[in-house]
Amino acid sequence: MTSIEDFMRRLPNDVGGQPSPAFQRVDHELKPWEKRCHALADVLDFHKIISTEEKRRGVEALGTEMIGRLGYYERWLTAFAVILFQKGLLTPTQLAERMAVVESRFRADPAPDPAAA
Amino acid sequence: MHEHGPGESRPHDEITETGPPDYFDVLETALEELLTERNLIRPGEVRHQIDVLDSRTPALGAKVIARAWVDAEFRARLLADGRGTCEELGITFYDDTGLIVLENTATVHNLVVCTLCSCYPRPVLGLPPDWYKQKPYRARAVVEPRALLAEFGTIIPDEVEIRVTDSTSALRFLVLPRRPEGTDDFTEEQLAALVTRDAMIGVVPVTAGKDGSGA
Repeated sequence: MTSIEDFMRRLPNDVGGQPSPAFQRVDHELKPWEKRCHALADVLDFHKIISTEEKRRGVEALGTEMIGRLGYYERWLTAFAVILFQKGLLTPTQLAERMAVVESRFRADPAPDPAAA
Repeated sequence: MHEHGPGESRPHDEITETGPPDYFDVLETALEELLTERNLIRPGEVRHQIDVLDSRTPALGAKVIARAWVDAEFRARLLADGRGTCEELGITFYDDTGLIVLENTATVHNLVVCTLCSCYPRPVLGLPPDWYKQKPYRARAVVEPRALLAEFGTIIPDEVEIRVTDSTSALRFLVLPRRPEGTDDFTEEQLAALVTRDAMIGVVPVTAGKDGSGA
């Protein structure tokens, strides 16, 4: 098979049977934002705003470079933002402005008392 | 402790944590706030779903497997209707996914993978481990399952067929492992305590020893 044919066969997620790095039996405890991201994905699916399948395709559409550089839940959140823009539910400006507000709030209160939860 | 939702102060894991806020922590919070303000999701809904996620652990799947080992009629129903039969045990499915239970036998060993992403029987096992979501497992499970299983310490004899099942967003799979030898006098609860997460993915057998790996 020519290299272009090989290249064109698969989208980035379609890794079954591909050469891969060595297997390592790794796991980690989810960070709070990762757990929230997973729960948000479920809620978006419940409300038919972004289905699980749309999310997967949204991640795939980020392209190989972004998929390679971002972590698992980082890809999910990026895909959510792009899909919400595409559906006209949010604009990039609205998100950027809100992120600036959230970031300054986090900077002002970097380690709040958990008892306040 | 609960996770925090929009507009609430964040939890912190380490007092010593410093540096700028994590970009994706900010992104998640901003998305959740904007969606809530637009009434696309309800206040507290993400927090509630975190509680649901936290309530799902491999202990639920282990309960299903142990029941299948002691109750032949339950096992038959489980193999015919995975989701409905788990629901008999009070395990609710919080999503629209179907569940098919794959029975290991003396001649067939089942292995579950999601080559495209990370689909997994979350209502009965909780969230998948990182290795299940990463490329080496996904890429290799479908072409060299024997070699991959050997890296888990699982040697499947050549005469045993390995069936690899690829999950989808709509349909998830759970392995019904073989009941270990020497457990005839075990109670259902004792049996359930032997069943690990990894055994229900199909990467290790259930053993009657103290091997709790992957639980």
